[in-house]
Amino acid sequence: MATYDFVFSKLGLQDWCAQDQSTGPMSMKDLLSKSRGETETSQSIWEVPFPSMDNLNEACRAFPQSRELTKGLENGFLSVKDSLSIFLDPLTQPLSWFLDGALYFMLATPWWIIIPLLLLVVQLVTKSWRLVAFVGFSICTLAFIDHYEYAMQTLAIIFVCAFLCVLFGVPIGIAMSRSDTMQRLTIPILDMLQTLPPFVYLIPLIFLFSVTESKLYGIAIILYAIVPVIRLTNLGIRLVDKDVIEAADAFGMTKQQKLYRVQIPLALPNIMAGVNQTIMMSLAMVVIASLVSAPGLGVLVLRGIRNLELGVGLVAGLGIVILAVILDRVTKMSLARINASQKS
Amino acid sequence: MTENTRISIRNLYKIFGDDPATALEAVKSGMSKAELLEKHNHVLGLQDINVDMKAGEVTVIMGLSGSGKSTLIRHLNRLIEPTAGSIQVDGEDVLGYDEERLRRLRREHMSMVFQKFALLPHRTVLENAGLALWVRGREVKEFEEEANKWLARVGLEGNGNQYPHQLSGGMQQRVGIARALTSNSPIMLMDEAFSALDPLIRTDMQDLLLDLQQELKKTIVFITHDLDEALKLADHLVILKDGYVVQQGEPQEILMEPNDPYIVDFISDINRARVLRVRSVMEKTTQPLAQSAGQVTENANLEEVIAQSKGATDLTYQVVREGSPVGVISMQAVVKALVPTHAAAREVR
Repeated sequence: MATYDFVFSKLGLQDWCAQDQSTGPMSMKDLLSKSRGETETSQSIWEVPFPSMDNLNEACRAFPQSRELTKGLENGFLSVKDSLSIFLDPLTQPLSWFLDGALYFMLATPWWIIIPLLLLVVQLVTKSWRLVAFVGFSICTLAFIDHYEYAMQTLAIIFVCAFLCVLFGVPIGIAMSRSDTMQRLTIPILDMLQTLPPFVYLIPLIFLFSVTESKLYGIAIILYAIVPVIRLTNLGIRLVDKDVIEAADAFGMTKQQKLYRVQIPLALPNIMAGVNQTIMMSLAMVVIASLVSAPGLGVLVLRGIRNLELGVGLVAGLGIVILAVILDRVTKMSLARINASQKS
Repeated sequence: MTENTRISIRNLYKIFGDDPATALEAVKSGMSKAELLEKHNHVLGLQDINVDMKAGEVTVIMGLSGSGKSTLIRHLNRLIEPTAGSIQVDGEDVLGYDEERLRRLRREHMSMVFQKFALLPHRTVLENAGLALWVRGREVKEFEEEANKWLARVGLEGNGNQYPHQLSGGMQQRVGIARALTSNSPIMLMDEAFSALDPLIRTDMQDLLLDLQQELKKTIVFITHDLDEALKLADHLVILKDGYVVQQGEPQEILMEPNDPYIVDFISDINRARVLRVRSVMEKTTQPLAQSAGQVTENANLEEVIAQSKGATDLTYQVVREGSPVGVISMQAVVKALVPTHAAAREVR
């Protein structure tokens, strides 16, 4: 006799309940009460359970238990998985090529080419010799403690993923800024991507792609890191001075002219702030993605956790901090240069 | 519509809200602005506007904030779409234009000057001045000469390579004017163009505009909330209140014969001696005066006449246009004209 028997008898559903007596595996609670030989006693009002799926199941065996929800979700995912991968696989294949190519390039090129090349890029985007010196010193320190290879793997992944984030994120942001409907539809997705614990992305991805493919972690990183660049592009374009937009209209600019000559240039500081955030979030995710075979410093952190090798974990963690500082300073400095050239 | 009417606005209505069509019916059947807002939650922007703007003249649209003047000027190049009515420019119905044709109107026939300048902050002064040509697809090199010419004309020679934020407000608005002039459009829309400037700089800019106008004879539509500015610039003055035209006509005419208590109120504080001109006070006659105290031109203001008379009230002057007599003006008439209409009316009572 269960608490909610009356619901089903009132609704006249006893037949339906009785026809399907086969239940799922016995739950721990049932087993315990059975082994103790407990029988149902009359319940006081204080002990009335919430009419949850499990409690209703007790009253009517045909009613599904809550574990069937998770199971159904899993089965559903598994059944669409094959058809999903038919078109997802070729669509995402280039990502694997990019990642593998970037990793190969960073590691196959000798260090005495890569390091000056990186420093040259830093000089070009920031025009600051102090920053170049700092970056050179940091990378050489990492190389000196034999973390060069790991650091370069991490950097290669970040470059590819951040680049793709910008490539897709900026147009999405522009589309959002142009249509309120688009914005209404996109913002919940962005909110979800941003608040979903990063580990949760990995689970469906593991089902969809094989762990040996680099696109698996590539997708996880991009999904996690693309949010700020979309948000800030949208915001930046929406914040462009209404008067200037009106002037552009009054002088007969086409939508294209307005976008490329007015909106994007004026939104650039915000877009660059988004790029900065995207790069930092890629770095955060690349460490977690080492759980699904992403190479780089994250692997060492993982080893530190798994084998309780304190030193390995700490040094790798410090290496990540150094990379983070480098990436942040370089993007912030180039952002500051853009800001200085167009304050109004 | 007369020969030289360039812009003609007929029965123009603008209602802001979700369902302007229903609200329009209500307005046409006599609902007031306040009532419309309360009952339908729609804002009445413009109400039955009929204005003709003549080619080569400065039409000033004046009203206090919220009177719909900025809304009205934005209808001319369709930055705002009307709810009902028609707008014709050079005899063509602007409201029937498709996107392509409208763009051509904005690029080649109308240019606009804004209250907050609205220059592109990331472009140099030169590039800003040449915006209209740049929009038409010309390279900086091609329009450099033209843009520099107009920059020099508004007094900004040599500032071409600076950025707008490096200039003062007055200089920025000069760039705004140069930008409008470089487009070489016959019509210039000026939306409170001088309202954000200091009084002294504002006077400078007004003089600059009159100077340019004498030379270029453009059709200018000028929006302002400042009566002195309106009287100084206007060939044709339109006074708006709550979205409808209270009175329009030659400024002198409005000063001498205000037809609404609102306007009487409005003009009661101005310096009449400086704004009123001899031609609106004089007695018309082509007969030369036998014992005149001297000659005054018809466009002289009363202040000048009083200065000429040195305060004597028993003199009579000959009024001339280009040397030939068109009327006479007595100092008595001058002094009488200085008293505002409503004050005179109270005296009679």
